Amino acid sequence: MSAYPTRKIEDWRWSDLSGLDALAAGHANDALPDLSRYWIDLDGPRLVFADGRFVEALSDRRGLTVTAVRSAPGHPLGDVAAAKATTGLWLTRTANTPAIGPIQIVHVASGGASHLSSRIELARDAHAEIVETHVGAGWSNVTATVALAEGARLMRTIRVLKTGGAHTDFTLATVAQAASYTSAALVTGADSARLEARIKLDGTGAFAEADGVMLSRGEQNLDSFTRVQHAAPGGSSRQVWRSVADDRSTASVAGRVEVARDAQKTDAEQSVKALLLARTATANAKPELEIFADDVKCAHGATVGELNRDALFYLQSRGVDPAAAKALLTRAFIADALDRIGDETVREAVTADAIAWLEAK
Amino acid sequence: MLQINDLHATVGGKTILNGLTLTVNAGEVHAIMGPNGAGKSTLSYVLAGRAGYEVTGGSVTFDGHDLLALAPHQRAAAGLFLGLQYPVEIPGVSNLAFLRTALNAQRKQRGEAEASGAEFMKLVKVEAEGFGLSMDMLKRPVNVGFSGGEKKRNEMVQMAVLAPKLAVLDETDSGLDIDALRVVSDGINRLRSPERATLLITHYQRLLDYVVPDRVHVLVAGRIERSGGPELAHELEREGYVRQAA
Repeated sequence: MSAYPTRKIEDWRWSDLSGLDALAAGHANDALPDLSRYWIDLDGPRLVFADGRFVEALSDRRGLTVTAVRSAPGHPLGDVAAAKATTGLWLTRTANTPAIGPIQIVHVASGGASHLSSRIELARDAHAEIVETHVGAGWSNVTATVALAEGARLMRTIRVLKTGGAHTDFTLATVAQAASYTSAALVTGADSARLEARIKLDGTGAFAEADGVMLSRGEQNLDSFTRVQHAAPGGSSRQVWRSVADDRSTASVAGRVEVARDAQKTDAEQSVKALLLARTATANAKPELEIFADDVKCAHGATVGELNRDALFYLQSRGVDPAAAKALLTRAFIADALDRIGDETVREAVTADAIAWLEAK
Repeated sequence: MLQINDLHATVGGKTILNGLTLTVNAGEVHAIMGPNGAGKSTLSYVLAGRAGYEVTGGSVTFDGHDLLALAPHQRAAAGLFLGLQYPVEIPGVSNLAFLRTALNAQRKQRGEAEASGAEFMKLVKVEAEGFGLSMDMLKRPVNVGFSGGEKKRNEMVQMAVLAPKLAVLDETDSGLDIDALRVVSDGINRLRSPERATLLITHYQRLLDYVVPDRVHVLVAGRIERSGGPELAHELEREGYVRQAA
């Protein structure tokens, strides 16, 4: 019996971890899929991990350190990753280290359980960009601890393009004064996925943005939980999530903003919207605010809706067939989140992944 | 071009069209006038094939096609255009993307080559200028933040770019100030040709001062009650629709 959290715990009420033990008992498939389609046209290091192992032969490390990071983040699944992982990325950058370009990671979890535990440490004014792509039909369980020093900037993109199985992902980040943490996620594949991030803004004027798009169909159960803790004054945070659920699938997004008593002049915004493509699909949207300071600007909004029938008819009356009309409107819906990806090449690649999902129906 | 024969249609179980018969030949402009609730908008939606408008009897032949057997997007590709009374706002989709998608979807269905980016832009630019819509507006999301008049001009740009065989314009004149009315009327007149036909659905005779129809029909309680030449519109304007008791 596993000791994973159950749905009885509020923060896990939309997660489905029931299949993890069975997945972990499965076996890896030694044949690696063709990875070429997962690489984005960016000049930078490329790291391949397969079933929890680093594959040097398929990687272009460019001097990066690959090793298991043993610090437990204090999270039921993240701690499992930290305890069991035999590898991961250990990235340390300073403002003076020569630029290496965006780092791409492709992680293939073909079967069984694959754990990765990573650490990203950016010293004062350092910056880094990382694109993580998770594929395969096994269980990938990854965790990352992120420490951004004053003025450091990290841009992260997480793509879950699995063909089944499960993906669980936990990030613990601390963001110092005037530092910036941004992440964008696209979750399509995986029978079940849980993306979680706990981001603490503990320096004046720190910035965090955690956006995502979740696309579910069939019986998929996808959920995300982002918790942003404003612990210092003048910080700002953004959470923009768009989910689309079809068939009998469930897509759930929870976002929490916590503003400590000292975190005056906090500016926090949450926008969580879901689109149901079928009456049998389920979407949950839960933005939460917990404010102990009195001089803050916090905005949040959540909607769950269907495609606008008038707009669908309008497109059809102009010659667009129903499937294409649906895809066009759905694409417009998720663009709110995807358009926030700062790196244009990455944004286009992630948008192409989302369109491929829309057109796969 | 268009033959409507003994058309019956219901909306939500309620009979709205009740034996409507109408023929529009190529090269002609017809106006359908009538009081509120007569079935004018229902006729336009039935012709375009909107879900929820159920045809319970009769037939519609359009340019040799059994129109009622076609899906809405197929009707558009066959050359039918519906100018909406209330054009829909679509956040997140630019007017240009909307129109290019539409044009190429129609061309694809007709087995024609898709318009290249340059060809499309050239086409749109000319028509947008003609209807007084700036390129800046065309880059914005479909009808979002447009005034009533701008929405109708946008419908006209779409019509001109898609170049339909039959345009059904549902209350295109409503909500227009006099300048916009003139621009829209000029546009409709410009598109008049021996190969095309237009069906103007309107409540007021105002538009018909600028676009002189070949025939005017009075729609009352779901059927054409009277037909005549352009002078009929003026007569209706003077005497109202409720004259027919005699």
